[in-house]
Amino acid sequence: MKAIKCAALLAFLSLPAAGGDDSEPGAKPGAKLYETHCGTCHQMDGSGVFMMQPPLRRAPRANGPVGGVMEMILSGSAAVPPGSSDYNSEMPPFDFLSDEEIAAIATYVRTSFENTGGAVTPTDVADKRRSWTAN
Amino acid sequence: MRKAVFASMMMATAMTGLPLAAADEVALSMPEGFRAEVVAVDLGLVRHLTVGKGGWIYAALARSKDGKGAVALRDSDDDGKADDIRYFASGLRGTGMKINDGYLYMGTRTTIVRWPLAAGVVPEGEPQVMVSGFPVQRAHAAKSMAFDGKGHVYVNVGAPSNACMEETRQKGSPGQQPCAELEQQGGIWRFDASKPGQDQMRDGFRYATGLRNAVAVRWNTSADALYLTQHGRDQLNQFFPELFDKTASAELPAEELHRVEEGDNLGWPYSYYDQRIGSRMLMPEYGGDGKIRASDTGFKVPVAAFPGHWAPNDLIFPGSAFWPEAYQGGALIAFHGSWNRGNAQQGYKLVYVPMDKNGAVDGKWATFMDGFAGPGPIKSAGDAKYRPGGLAEGPDGALYISSAQGGGRVWRVTYEGN
Repeated sequence: MKAIKCAALLAFLSLPAAGGDDSEPGAKPGAKLYETHCGTCHQMDGSGVFMMQPPLRRAPRANGPVGGVMEMILSGSAAVPPGSSDYNSEMPPFDFLSDEEIAAIATYVRTSFENTGGAVTPTDVADKRRSWTAN
Repeated sequence: MRKAVFASMMMATAMTGLPLAAADEVALSMPEGFRAEVVAVDLGLVRHLTVGKGGWIYAALARSKDGKGAVALRDSDDDGKADDIRYFASGLRGTGMKINDGYLYMGTRTTIVRWPLAAGVVPEGEPQVMVSGFPVQRAHAAKSMAFDGKGHVYVNVGAPSNACMEETRQKGSPGQQPCAELEQQGGIWRFDASKPGQDQMRDGFRYATGLRNAVAVRWNTSADALYLTQHGRDQLNQFFPELFDKTASAELPAEELHRVEEGDNLGWPYSYYDQRIGSRMLMPEYGGDGKIRASDTGFKVPVAAFPGHWAPNDLIFPGSAFWPEAYQGGALIAFHGSWNRGNAQQGYKLVYVPMDKNGAVDGKWATFMDGFAGPGPIKSAGDAKYRPGGLAEGPDGALYISSAQGGGRVWRVTYEGN
């Protein structure tokens, strides 16, 4: 099972244009998607905006369990209990993106901005969506 | 003629007595004859501030420090640096901070509270709750306020959204028609300044509507009128790339300075203001295309307009005879600076808008102080060293400026002549 998952991950990471990504050659998969959907608010360098949008640089969610970033993308600020954050902007859910696109963005965030959380696969995203539907 | 002044070089030491790290300092530019010095550093997230008797400066904190959401500071030995710093307002945090009729008022995210303020006293204990019942909201929750000197307090109740879209900040989502947020938000509510226990909807009067967020609100005593700034919406290019290219999205919409009369509608979310052509335009979520004007709507147009996303967070009408005539009567605006102008952020500065004694703008606005962000380049808002956010005037004519970013500091600006 583990071997299969690793194989799937490698296949996914080797896609030059994951999820419709049309990044320059050599750019990380997900970079273009990040720019389109995330970069305005979280800033292109992931530094966030003071008191408004949290930084992604060295962020706990980008260095912890595989679901951390993915849950934020799927649910937006609904994933954060009111009053538990110093950041005030509303983040919309990006659940309209495909599993591949969400995995590409989450992987980009978790492997950029000095983060070491590692990759997220489309299967991880599909599993998360399924578990929420089941609940 | 402007000159650059290393503000902090004038301040040799911090409150600890240790030299400040050079990396913490910025070169501030200002008109000839003015001088700036750092009063205090590392205060926490200081927002609006006000100056009371006995030299006390009071500032609200956006995040409480050791459980307290406001700070009082004073320079007791007259060396220009605060040496007596005390935190108060247990369990609170907020933005608004003003003195009126012997009381210190604070605007938390959901209430207006006050403490009696004897000379030379730092508030203690529980404050009186003057107004409650404001909606709980994540975005634009700052309850900044202004007093008219006739028994009223005017409170900003920001709209919780970007453009009142049906789906929050979702590309392709149309605007709500009508925008339900305007019933209890997106406006200025007026209350009795001295009556405790008021509820927003039961006791408040909606003085003006159609504003997304007005962190800067101030009564102009010379003109006897309320002035405020409107924060324009975000993400035009992201949501409407076919209508607004990245340059247009950086410049638009204008940040707006308004003189507000009772019953005014400033047009949000149905319109925005394009400073390049001097017209109110139909918002794209409501059918606009960047060209359709909203001219016959009755929506008020600003008395001055500024580049997009500069984020005006406080304004003041310097009334001091200590200041040169060129800077009397008009509005000084503190811009917090942008995060939404692509890879080239800007606007971390103070701007002066000249006005006559009736409050009519009678000249072009110009930068008054700049350099808060540091040398740059400022690609992201986080690259800015400091971001001016609050303004206050002392009885001696000194101007106080706060920055939450960069640890939380206050500058003092005085005019010393040529």
